[in-house]
Amino acid sequence: MVLHKSRRGVPPKIPKPIVFIDHLTELKQVYQNQNDLHIGACCTYSELLEDPLIPIALKKAIKTIAAPAIRNRGTLGGNICNASPAGDTLPLLYVYNAKLLLRSVSGDRVVAISDFIQGPRRVGRNQNEILAEIILPSIFEEGTHVVFEKVGNRNADAIAKVSFAGYIRMNGAQIEDVRFAFGAVGPTMVRSINIEKKLIGKTIPLAGADIAPVVAAFDKMIRPIDDQRSTASYRKTVALNLLRYFLSRKQYQSN
Amino acid sequence: MITFTLNGRTIETEAPPTTRLLDLVRDEFGLIGTKEGCGEGECGACSVFVNSLLQNSCLIPIGSIEGADIQTIEGIMDTEQFKILDESYSIAGGVQCGYCIPGMVMASAALLSQNPHPSETEIREGISGNLCRCTGYNMIVDAINLAAKKGDGIWERK
Repeated sequence: MVLHKSRRGVPPKIPKPIVFIDHLTELKQVYQNQNDLHIGACCTYSELLEDPLIPIALKKAIKTIAAPAIRNRGTLGGNICNASPAGDTLPLLYVYNAKLLLRSVSGDRVVAISDFIQGPRRVGRNQNEILAEIILPSIFEEGTHVVFEKVGNRNADAIAKVSFAGYIRMNGAQIEDVRFAFGAVGPTMVRSINIEKKLIGKTIPLAGADIAPVVAAFDKMIRPIDDQRSTASYRKTVALNLLRYFLSRKQYQSN
Repeated sequence: MITFTLNGRTIETEAPPTTRLLDLVRDEFGLIGTKEGCGEGECGACSVFVNSLLQNSCLIPIGSIEGADIQTIEGIMDTEQFKILDESYSIAGGVQCGYCIPGMVMASAALLSQNPHPSETEIREGISGNLCRCTGYNMIVDAINLAAKKGDGIWERK
């Protein structure tokens, strides 16, 4: 409605035929399947905020989106398929290793979110497919600590200048699994499995000598741009600070 | 043909399905309390209730509200809740030019029906999607706080 906005009083000129699907209850189901969480793509942000199955970290991320009226209408599927470089749910969905269920008359297929989102506003959805569900695998396992930070210039109605999601799973004092994703610092979310591997098996709290190479590796990898919202320099500095802060915690409470 | 309920009346319209609900209520039904400030969902001047949920009508294509229950500011003016908000905004000095007010009142009513005794933080979050260029917001926050106290017991979801 914004992308194809016309003059006052003139309906938006949307160039293709439209099918309205956002009211379909089949696309609004939230359910647990063994340890996986399935979220219907047409769940509005407000509906997710009220659903007891949705993880707290995801609710916190959703609360940073826009304002109440928008949250009553915007959907998780919309945030994904719009694939903004600054999409607020995306860093978390990346560290959750989210998978997407795409459905067409020919059947279903499941694709990793990092493969689905290919660039700003570009996703790997075939013409005849809809995004039906978002699947968060093994989300109900114990012992993980997840954070999401969004840096914007207001508390509401702000597009992120930088965002960060961190995920850590401990086995006693040792790191069993750790994941990071940065938003608004590249055309899509920035994540590196190779850099994450550097920290597997390390003990908490991490020593400076363990943190420094990770920060240095992201320093090379993160290449933000200057735009009307922020500068490359600010974005990189803040992104690395958020990472350092996440890595310097004395302990990680399960959440 | 798109059919829905508008302020309690059943409506049928032949307007194209991509027509913005904002334009429909203003142009076809003369309900000019709902206003355009940005056309992008950022200012809240176009706020309406869709099935009791606060939404920005500038972002709603009417094809998506088939069968829905729509209320504009005009639709809530007869309620006890509105009268309390009206009084409270008046006492607190929350109205200057008035342009943001229909949207602010819709947001206030939506907030109080979900959270009858909001904290200041919750009030500010409740109106975070409504821009005001005149008041600096503090008097509006006071108005909502006052309405919460005055309206004790009557704020509940319909």
